[in-house]
Amino acid sequence: MGSSAVGRWWRPFRSVAEATVFYVDLLPHAAHEARALECLSAEERVRSGRYLHAGSRRRFILCRAALRAVLCHRLACNGQQITFGASSYGKPFARVDETPSPVGFNVSHAGSHGLIAVAPRGRIGVDIEERVPRDDLNDLTDAVLGPNEKREFVLLHGNRRTHFFYRMWTLKEALIKALGHGFSQDPAEFEVPLAVRRGARAGTLRFPNRPRSLWRVNDLGTEKFAAAVAVETNPGHSLMSAE
Amino acid sequence: MASTEDRLRTLVAENLEVDGQPVNVPADLNVSLTDAGVPSMDFVAFAKVIVREFDVPLTPDECADFSTLKDLAAYIDSQAA
Repeated sequence: MGSSAVGRWWRPFRSVAEATVFYVDLLPHAAHEARALECLSAEERVRSGRYLHAGSRRRFILCRAALRAVLCHRLACNGQQITFGASSYGKPFARVDETPSPVGFNVSHAGSHGLIAVAPRGRIGVDIEERVPRDDLNDLTDAVLGPNEKREFVLLHGNRRTHFFYRMWTLKEALIKALGHGFSQDPAEFEVPLAVRRGARAGTLRFPNRPRSLWRVNDLGTEKFAAAVAVETNPGHSLMSAE
Repeated sequence: MASTEDRLRTLVAENLEVDGQPVNVPADLNVSLTDAGVPSMDFVAFAKVIVREFDVPLTPDECADFSTLKDLAAYIDSQAA
């Protein structure tokens, strides 16, 4: 999938164990968007037309084309060979010539920033958020944070409180996306490891209600955004089904 | 009293935005929150708004599952019936 004429809008960002996370530049760019649209399937072009807002449409087009390019490179195939399926909970997986691929991937975007996480096998989740101040943080913490996390949240003020919330959100969202069950996995029913809550960039955990898998979670946050990636450490689970 | 669809349209306008702009849903509510570009954090917050405003059970997961806002309005009405 060539993009040399207009340049690439994605680049490697971080490596976490066997996984690679790519950064996707989602700023408005007519040439990138035109090239990206050419790389999408007919179905994806129809989907892009359903978005109500130009920004949402641009983020989808640029991220999906970048994902296709990353997967083509990983799977040594061309874009026409790749199709996407989804598990019963909507978590996408890739097929090459209709054969499901073991490669795990996940995509997230916020504002002008996108991330694509790819691993050779197993489940993986990524999340990125801009740290936009919100006046409903207290409501959200009730829905998202566990009891210890809430106690730590209320002790913070101002920017530190906002940073803590977005850090917890992206870590939990990455884990939930990796698990692939959507919000049927209640984010308030598990807690980020204590060391990570206190500032460590990486840790491991098991979901209390799904203890079979061990998950590694990494904080990928920068000054510009909060972000995290979660990777299954003992992959053996089918990407196409729920646990 | 305003219909559920009207109240839902108002709640969307008051509580959701994309890129700093209000989410202008079509009059028939025949659009999903995903197609409206609503991020997952806002799904969680909006589900809580729906629970509070309509006094119906609704998780963020269920909120995301509705194909359109019109379906969500029908669900709210079915719970009130």
